[in-house]
Amino acid sequence: MNEALHKNYKAAFGALLCVIYFTLPGYSVTAAGSIVHRIKNEEHSNGGYEIAKERIITGTVKGDDGQTLPGASVLVKGTTLGTTTDSDGRFTLSAPDNVETLVISYIGYTSQEIAIGNQTVINITLIADMQILSEVVVVGYGSQKKSDLTGSIVSIKGDDVMQLPTQRVDQALQGRAAGVMVLSPSGVPGGPTTIRIRGMNSINGGNAPLVVIDGLQGGDLNSLNPNDVESMEILKDASATAIYGSQGANGVILITTKKGKKGAPMINYTYTVGAQQLRSKLDVMNAGDFARTANAFKATQNQPGNVVIVPTPIFTDAEVAAFDKNGGTDWQNEIYQTAPIQNHQLSLSGGFDKVQYLVSGGYLDQKGILLNSSFKRFSLRTNVNVDINKWSSFGLSWAGIKEQGNAPPFFDGAGNADALGYTVSVAPRWAATIPVFDEFGNYNRHPSNYGEPGMWNPLASALEPLSDNGTLRNNVNAFIQFKFLKDFTFRVTGGAVTANQDNYRYLNRETKEGFQRGGQGSIISSQFARYQNSNILTYDKQFSVHHLTITAVSEQQVVLSKGSSVVGSGFLVDGAGIYDLGGATSLVASSYNNDKAINSFLGRVNYSFKDKYLLTASYRADGASVFGENNKWGYFPSVSGAWKVSEESFIKDLGWFSDLKIRGSWGITGNQAISPYETLASLSSSNNNYPYQGNSLSDVGYGINRAANPNLKWESTKQTDIGFDIGLFNGRLTATFDYYEKTTENLLLSRQLPTYTGFNSIIDNVGSVGNKGIELTIGGDPLVGDFKWNTSFNISGNKSKVLDLGGLTSLPFRTTPGAGYGFSTRNNNALLYLKPGSPFGEMTGWITDGTWGEAESDKAALFGQLPGDIKYRDINNDGKINRSDLTVIGQAQPKFMFGWNNRFSYKNFDLMFLIQGVQGNDLFNVNRIRLERPGDSEGTSNAMLDRWTIENQDTDVPAFTSQSDRKAAALTSTVSGIDTRVSRWVEDASYIRLNNITLAYSIPQSIISKIGLNKLRAYVTGSNVFTITKYTGYDPEVSSFNTNDARLGLDFGSYPTARSVVFGIDLTF
Amino acid sequence: MKNKYGFLKRYFAVSFLISVVACQDLVEQPKGFVYPGNFNTTISQAEASLTASMNALWCEWCSNYSYGYGNFIHDDVLDGGDLEIGNGFGSDLWNQHYIALNNINGVLKAVKLGSITNSDEQSEIPGLLGQARYLRAFNYFTLVRLFGDIPLITEDTPDPVTNPISERTPIADVYALIVGDLEFAIDNLPVGNSPKPSRGAAQALLAKVYLTMATAPLNETANYAKARDVAKALIDEGMYSLVPDVFEVFSPENKFGPENIWSYNSTEDDQNTDPQIWTPGIMDGWGDASLDLLWAENWLAARPNEPRQDAYLILEYDGVPWTDFDEAKPFVGKYVMPYIPQEEYDAESSTANMPILRYADVLMMYAEAANMAEGGPSAEAYNAINMVRRRANKVPLDIPNPAIDLAGGLSKADFDKAVIEEREFELVFEFDRWYDIIRKRLLVELTTKYHPENLGNVSDDDYLYPIPDYDAKLLGSQNPGYTTE
Repeated sequence: MNEALHKNYKAAFGALLCVIYFTLPGYSVTAAGSIVHRIKNEEHSNGGYEIAKERIITGTVKGDDGQTLPGASVLVKGTTLGTTTDSDGRFTLSAPDNVETLVISYIGYTSQEIAIGNQTVINITLIADMQILSEVVVVGYGSQKKSDLTGSIVSIKGDDVMQLPTQRVDQALQGRAAGVMVLSPSGVPGGPTTIRIRGMNSINGGNAPLVVIDGLQGGDLNSLNPNDVESMEILKDASATAIYGSQGANGVILITTKKGKKGAPMINYTYTVGAQQLRSKLDVMNAGDFARTANAFKATQNQPGNVVIVPTPIFTDAEVAAFDKNGGTDWQNEIYQTAPIQNHQLSLSGGFDKVQYLVSGGYLDQKGILLNSSFKRFSLRTNVNVDINKWSSFGLSWAGIKEQGNAPPFFDGAGNADALGYTVSVAPRWAATIPVFDEFGNYNRHPSNYGEPGMWNPLASALEPLSDNGTLRNNVNAFIQFKFLKDFTFRVTGGAVTANQDNYRYLNRETKEGFQRGGQGSIISSQFARYQNSNILTYDKQFSVHHLTITAVSEQQVVLSKGSSVVGSGFLVDGAGIYDLGGATSLVASSYNNDKAINSFLGRVNYSFKDKYLLTASYRADGASVFGENNKWGYFPSVSGAWKVSEESFIKDLGWFSDLKIRGSWGITGNQAISPYETLASLSSSNNNYPYQGNSLSDVGYGINRAANPNLKWESTKQTDIGFDIGLFNGRLTATFDYYEKTTENLLLSRQLPTYTGFNSIIDNVGSVGNKGIELTIGGDPLVGDFKWNTSFNISGNKSKVLDLGGLTSLPFRTTPGAGYGFSTRNNNALLYLKPGSPFGEMTGWITDGTWGEAESDKAALFGQLPGDIKYRDINNDGKINRSDLTVIGQAQPKFMFGWNNRFSYKNFDLMFLIQGVQGNDLFNVNRIRLERPGDSEGTSNAMLDRWTIENQDTDVPAFTSQSDRKAAALTSTVSGIDTRVSRWVEDASYIRLNNITLAYSIPQSIISKIGLNKLRAYVTGSNVFTITKYTGYDPEVSSFNTNDARLGLDFGSYPTARSVVFGIDLTF
Repeated sequence: MKNKYGFLKRYFAVSFLISVVACQDLVEQPKGFVYPGNFNTTISQAEASLTASMNALWCEWCSNYSYGYGNFIHDDVLDGGDLEIGNGFGSDLWNQHYIALNNINGVLKAVKLGSITNSDEQSEIPGLLGQARYLRAFNYFTLVRLFGDIPLITEDTPDPVTNPISERTPIADVYALIVGDLEFAIDNLPVGNSPKPSRGAAQALLAKVYLTMATAPLNETANYAKARDVAKALIDEGMYSLVPDVFEVFSPENKFGPENIWSYNSTEDDQNTDPQIWTPGIMDGWGDASLDLLWAENWLAARPNEPRQDAYLILEYDGVPWTDFDEAKPFVGKYVMPYIPQEEYDAESSTANMPILRYADVLMMYAEAANMAEGGPSAEAYNAINMVRRRANKVPLDIPNPAIDLAGGLSKADFDKAVIEEREFELVFEFDRWYDIIRKRLLVELTTKYHPENLGNVSDDDYLYPIPDYDAKLLGSQNPGYTTE
């Protein structure tokens, strides 16, 4: 794109100058690009006063660190008359002679009132206010006082996150912010996390929020060391996110990393070590029970034809007795382990007069609870900030992260697709009657006379695969900043995020695929790079009671990714495997290259009047290469306002409210959601080639497989938000409430084409989805003094509704867990559909009402069923159970979710805990389909012991009915076309979890100062401590299909989330 | 003064920084990605596009080796089909032919835009265009016969995805394009036999096009003479001839001549042709692709002991006569043993080609066209049809044989009828019969003859298939007798 860079040089140059021209009222721009001073003398507003006698007051405002404070406000008390300091912190104020007091204020510092008497020169030193400092929140392309926010932003301080030690930033978000859903779809170390802010906007475009780390867009939360986080801001409403335009629709998470601070060098070291284990095992039968159950079922298979026979039992009485004695194999014990985890963290920071620095290194070593899985992360982050002179500064930060994991890449619906997922789903349903190894020490195969013969030994599936995934990330970020004129700041930032990934996988002959293909392996490598340049011009001015901030930005981003893969099979030597590709008899190679560029121009105006009435308006124009040629540019406006009611005298006088603010916002954001080149037509080769020249293998046909769509563009979300913030009792009780409504239009969906075009469909902007919800956060300090209690509770609910699917009446989603589960092998038999008028996540199936009782045999007979058979609900009362009785059987999306954070302190003790949960959602427990499949197959669940019998009729586990009994009853079944999508497998997945609890003790200062320490703290933390839920799977927080939010709500074979206990020390010197 | 310089420095610094800002080009120039912008720039790429066009037809055909089977089930030869032709019938065929056309037009468009720049390849461009235009004619010829007025898309048509077509092109205009394409192809295709289209294929196809134009629905009888002339030219050139032994017509060694002019090619390494689809259960076949029982009995009774029947049909297997098959019907034998080896058959693969144009067809076309153009059969027309009849009976081709030859002195109408009947038997299971039925308007006659129980389903509307629903909706019209919401 270098050529392009030159080509557009002039245009961009001009555009930027224009931005500057309009934001510089006193200056004009010549064609040559130099700025000419047009109006030399600035005149300060006199606020409209007619002044008989005046005097000039001058002075300098400094912070308590000795730095001058440019832009500080200097006001004559009780008037609107005032000025702000210049870039050197100096001010000149022309004021009436009778002025007595000046009020000097600056963000982050305590305001001061100075009685001036007769003085004409006043130098003021403001004291930094830690309280207020913490109230500054980062917003897109700037920062704001929290009290000045007009949008919906949640700010989480890094220190709060680190109070509850965690290995991952994304998981630390769970339960902390209203409206933010954090879901760990599986517990694999280093695995992905699903984060959703205010529901789901998109069907195919992805709903992951934009992560911005120190201004660099497109960050990765998982690879971030939590210890490096200074603060996290979650931008939720359009007023906050529209500044990110076509990438803002799913919300934005801003991460600010720690920077060095002035002062003596400080070294901090923390170390945690702990252990993780399986939260709970699935309830399966021991060998004796399984053998008896299998025999009992076999006995029912007594009339395959016309003659009644006596089937031979699978297990002899002697074998059953032996099983009772030894209990058999506990396959879950075989594959799960108690896994160690440790984390080292060392940082050094400090600063001189003009230079601040920080170096921080971390090492995380985590083994997984499933054998042979692990994750390691080495991270090093360093930054330096330099004040070049009074009006310019420079900063550079670099982070390098190396991740190494041994867990297969998690494909969509990974449950069965990879060996580890396979292990998880298969282990519980391997009969306990089979020993792990045979008499020669080989992995046992599944016997052929019962169960599914194709099932592979779970221990072999867990232990034997090699999976070596390495990622090396480099994040570089630099800025240079000029306060080049009074009130103006110009900041140029440049950054790059690169990631090089290589995955080596090998499945040897002890694994299923390896056995079938003579060893199978792959090498996948990819290189990713993202470059961003943002040029931010800020104008900040206090005109008496008016405060105006204007931000103008031009930005460009380039994303490059390329990669290749080789898949080999038929390896001569298993031992060398994938590290000796030459030994493979078959190799398939592929590669790709994707480039993407975004140009953006954006601006924001913040205006406040008397610090009571706040107005924010922003506008962003994004031009992206991925958009169709007719829609290269998208425009994203927002506007919001707030009224600080608490500043009105009639409220102030009440003395109740420390804060009362009403907010409202509206805006449009976008979701880029289009892959590079997706708007272009494409050609591809096919697997079946017509032998046009005479030989189909070499006559490769390249067919046009996708039509160009030059109109394709972003999905756009309109969002309205109203909310209020309350502070009572001097801020000891705070509450924030928000109500929002969102409508997403132009959803990327497939649109039918007339087939004379040569295509069946095209991806187009059709379809629409709506979301609305409420969020409430209540926080406070119920107890102050020696025994302190700080608490915060948040709860939020979101309702989604599909409004339009581009004319389709329903859109099915494939949730095929693989063969053997008996449902959803095709789209028209899907469990999950989207339908206009219905919410996301509705499950379709048949309702079962347990089993038919003996007393109901007449009714059962009407359906051709016997007592003990499953009782299906005849929805349309036609006496038949078939496809017309399909109905909604579950809801995958929670009604609401909540989090409750607490911190108790007494002297040197701290106790913190987080309780968190969701309510009102269902999971389709796919695992149970096979665990409870009756008979000699895989029914290993203890539920089989609860099957229907004359003595035990109140159960949903059907009876083992003998073939001869059924034939003798001579009934004609009216139950037809039923698959396994039945409500029996739908379980309430609501849960309340003690997510994290930490008890910490800080060694008293008097002791540690003797050994030269500033701080020494020891703590113990439990994570995922206990969960209250009715869900019977490993964990209610699970999702087996993650590529699309319309496919949430299924559980099969996902790596279970661990419970862990860690001990830690934290010392500073 | 110092202060003033300070200001200036700031301006310079800022100006400098502004000047390094530039915009990125937003036009996508993909690498590692094949799209029309970087494809069809060499002859072999263009031929890969043509291969893809055949893949589409192949897909319809090879998926169970049955291009015609489901789509022509309503003829009298194939078992099944009750002439109740519902909405959507034939829509896969429509779809695949338009996919093929899209790829062919892609080649024509790219060449028109000068995408092939290699100087060494310039001389090959006419031949490439000949292939492309031949294939386009073939696709449109199928579509226009089955669906009537159709959307006509050429390399000059604006992208129909963004500019939907709201009108169907009349049949005659479609034929004008087909004739133009084939005339070009005749001038530019190489002579010879290969899996790729040849000059002979274009001639044979053009003869068929003229013959069809001379019959229903256009009934432009002036085209009989054109069909005769084109066919005669092909015959006179002597490039093709009948395979003398009727049992050798479908041997793999005769795939590319002397009789086979153009066919769906099938090779060892393609995995898509399963010969078992054609065979009865007794041969471990699928058992459903049999001949219509009454039609077959008619043939067997009309031409007792005709060797052609043994050569083209499965009338017995392993000593078991077809009457004792589970299906109790004869099956087609053209595409299975003994033409392909047993191992191939067992491996569910086949090297047997399915003919599209062969010399026997050309001879019969000539006979039909000459008779109709000249008001009665000439000796040459008689000779053409008799060659086919003699070969069918395994007697010398060039020696008149009164027992086998068509009776002399037939009227124009009787001779015509005899030619159509000969086509019926000779081209059995080559999926040409339906076209004869519709261009000669035979449905009522044949249904009365074999399946009078289906007469209630027969109407003139059946001579066209329905336009696929969604296409018809956008095109604003449907063929008569079908409904579109």
